[in-house]
Amino acid sequence: MIEFTHKQQIVSTGSEHVQIKVVGLGGAGLNVIDRIVLDGAAPGADLVVMHTDVQSLTSSVASQKVQLGRGVTRGLGAGGDPEIGYGAAAESQEEIRKALEGAGLIFLCVGLGGGTGSGAAPLVASMAKENGSLVVVIATMPFTFEGKRRGSQAGDALISLQSCADAVICFENDVMGEAVSPKAGIHQAFAAADETISQCVRAVASLFTQPGILHIGFDDLCAALRPGIGGVGRCLFGFGEAEGDNRAHESLTRALKNPLMDRGRMLDESHNLLVNIAGGPDMTLNEVQMLMSALAKHTGDETQILFGASVDSRLSGRVTVTIISSSSMSVREGAVAPQFIPRVVPAPPVFTPAPALRTHAAAVQDMAAPAAQLEPEPEITAAAVAPEPEPEPAYAAATSMDTEQGSLLDMTPPAEPEPAPAPVRTARAPRQPRIVNAAADPLPILPAATKREERQETLQFEPVTRGRFEKSEPTIVDGQDLDVPTFLRRNMRVS
Amino acid sequence: MARDHILVGLEIGTSKICVVVGDSKPDGSIKILGVGQAPSRGVRKGEIVDFDTAQKCVHEALVDAEEKSDVMIQSVYLGVTGAHIESFNNRGMVTVPEDQEEITDADCDNVRSSAREVSIPSQNMFIHSILQHYYIDGQEGVLNPVGMLGNKLEADFHIIHGIGTRVKNAVRCVKEIPLEVEDVVFNPLAAAQVVLNQHQKNLGALAIDIGGGTTDYLMYVDGAVRQSGSLGIGGDHITNDISMGLRIPMARAEKLKVEEGSVTLGMSLPGETVTLKDDSGFAGKEVERETLNTIIHMRVRETFELLRRKLELGGDLHLLGAGIFITGGTSLLRGIDALAQEIFELPVHITHAQTMSGLTSAFENPQFSTAIGLIKYAQAVQMDRPAGWLSRFTQKLPIFGRRR
Repeated sequence: MIEFTHKQQIVSTGSEHVQIKVVGLGGAGLNVIDRIVLDGAAPGADLVVMHTDVQSLTSSVASQKVQLGRGVTRGLGAGGDPEIGYGAAAESQEEIRKALEGAGLIFLCVGLGGGTGSGAAPLVASMAKENGSLVVVIATMPFTFEGKRRGSQAGDALISLQSCADAVICFENDVMGEAVSPKAGIHQAFAAADETISQCVRAVASLFTQPGILHIGFDDLCAALRPGIGGVGRCLFGFGEAEGDNRAHESLTRALKNPLMDRGRMLDESHNLLVNIAGGPDMTLNEVQMLMSALAKHTGDETQILFGASVDSRLSGRVTVTIISSSSMSVREGAVAPQFIPRVVPAPPVFTPAPALRTHAAAVQDMAAPAAQLEPEPEITAAAVAPEPEPEPAYAAATSMDTEQGSLLDMTPPAEPEPAPAPVRTARAPRQPRIVNAAADPLPILPAATKREERQETLQFEPVTRGRFEKSEPTIVDGQDLDVPTFLRRNMRVS
Repeated sequence: MARDHILVGLEIGTSKICVVVGDSKPDGSIKILGVGQAPSRGVRKGEIVDFDTAQKCVHEALVDAEEKSDVMIQSVYLGVTGAHIESFNNRGMVTVPEDQEEITDADCDNVRSSAREVSIPSQNMFIHSILQHYYIDGQEGVLNPVGMLGNKLEADFHIIHGIGTRVKNAVRCVKEIPLEVEDVVFNPLAAAQVVLNQHQKNLGALAIDIGGGTTDYLMYVDGAVRQSGSLGIGGDHITNDISMGLRIPMARAEKLKVEEGSVTLGMSLPGETVTLKDDSGFAGKEVERETLNTIIHMRVRETFELLRRKLELGGDLHLLGAGIFITGGTSLLRGIDALAQEIFELPVHITHAQTMSGLTSAFENPQFSTAIGLIKYAQAVQMDRPAGWLSRFTQKLPIFGRRR
């Protein structure tokens, strides 16, 4: 009997063995990898760092290092310019591909906003994808104090990453920094961010490597990360570990205490919620039940809970809870607003050599003429389609980027990318993504326009206030914070 | 000697602290001797958040009660509430030893402790375990199993538990005054003893006590406590909503709620306004009456809807023959009964402590239901166990479950 179960275990772990690589890209990625090494968060995974800056590359403790853009940057950083970052990655393609080879699952840790991270990440992610690996991007958005320019670069990069990675977990440094006391040094704020990411890598990696009683697969993770209405979601991640008598409760409390969770207040906005409970062999069903019922208080009725449980003998006496989800809410409007989409798409041509750019422009103009005849009111079309948050344009963006990357390497002008690039010459969006469908067939524009209206509506948040109850423990029922006046929660206008 | 007849109930509420002194007569009636109260500070949603301030307020209220009733208060029955308090029903079972024929008191005790053998979060403590029904060898409806023959004794209990530290905080607050705490009672259990009579408990009744910080409820079906709990929403929330919605200070909002507020919509004339007087008596801001009522209506409706959803999970809502009895300070809000009736689809009564004698003004005010209920509860405990002063910590009355 015992022998049998023993065998079974070996078989199950054997078949599910996945080679994991954790890739740190750019300065922030390097820091995260160092943190992962220090924490021992990813045992058995290969750690790879990639950076343009040789100096920080040599100081990294990772086992495998790739220098990007020997010719482009000559061992210096990308200078905060994503174009240089992209160029560097393009130059070192072979080395990147080699480093990524053979991995079943790749975590790409990258801090967006800077040069190397924002520029190279989409390329590295799509190369990893071409190698046939699953790609989970763990991205951090810059602090607000780092400036708007970095914020918008990060937003651009995030959107292109979403189209070329299997899953994107996005952390906002601002939110993570809130966990740090105001007196703490800035290094502590960054360290806190790195630590959260390290936890995240560990938690997600163990989701796939540990055999579960109730197993959570990659599909579940993707579902949990899929933002509700479309567009870019805000990631909710919580991890808690506790031991002792009250470990079930304690671990959940810790998971919810995570700054990205806002004490569980954010959970009701999520549509899919991934919960994984791991514990030693002494974890009881009752503990799991109690934990889940406590968590249920924070979620709405509509939320789908993707539940996983696993037993790991290394965790004996302890219980860990991982909560991953995303909500379609944005705190910093600018960082995730859909108007980024048009800006992302033209990004590749920007750093293509001048002839290519010109050809592209020419192509656009060529298309413009016939399209204009079909399209009586191009301005409206452009405006309406541009922020369309559905995945379709994003996908188009990705493919177009791929083709253009190829063309960049060949140093040939882009050869008719797809049906036709969009005719666009509105002042607001000078370089428009392809709105091919819209131009050829004006009908779908209307739903798109109305959809955008709705999206805009949900973006108008009033600052949530609780008045007298600001400092008291929130009353949360079904995921709603009942201390906030009912009329505010129901969007009723009073005088 | 006389001391034993004097019972004191202390409720540390969110808006006020209330002490009721009563005289328990041998015939079972209670005479209210005096009511002391003080505005409460340092209490949010029924729980103490500022220990020292709350303690001062408790002291004030006690002094007030002592003056009014002319009684030296030495020990109190303390009411507790808070959204952390939860409840569930559980069945305990014991097998009567082979060599013993009759069921004894000890067996009843054992079945109680076996019902408590369930896991509650380790930080929680049991507040009450209230007997619902006994079963002997599967036979239902046994009222008193002691002396009966049987092999297997089972009993359903309604178990109320809450976070230990929070309950103990309230006890400590009183003990440091210093004052003896006879027992800790979950507020709606106390309130239900005076707003419901035995007949209503048997028919099935729901007592809702809407206070300043919490809405507590307790449901009797077939004479036994079936569901109970506490929602962290109360009159304070309404005031807070008004204050935020109309952008006026809390004190002004409270006054507006009490004097002008109503939950009934569509009853005011279009454009009808209420004028807010400022402190000097000059006419200040004008507020549209319908706006004010809408804010109140939304909150109260939501609270009732939440409550209904909670109660529906237990599935006993259709068993309420006597209907719903609303008490507590917020029950004074105009039109609240009609709204409750609409949402629960059951007869709703606004009620206050019944079957009392003494200070009429005290028990006819729904604000004092809980504090008076504490006395009634205390009386029942003492009548149930005349010698039980010593054993009160080991045993807690089955009597509320079933008194026919």
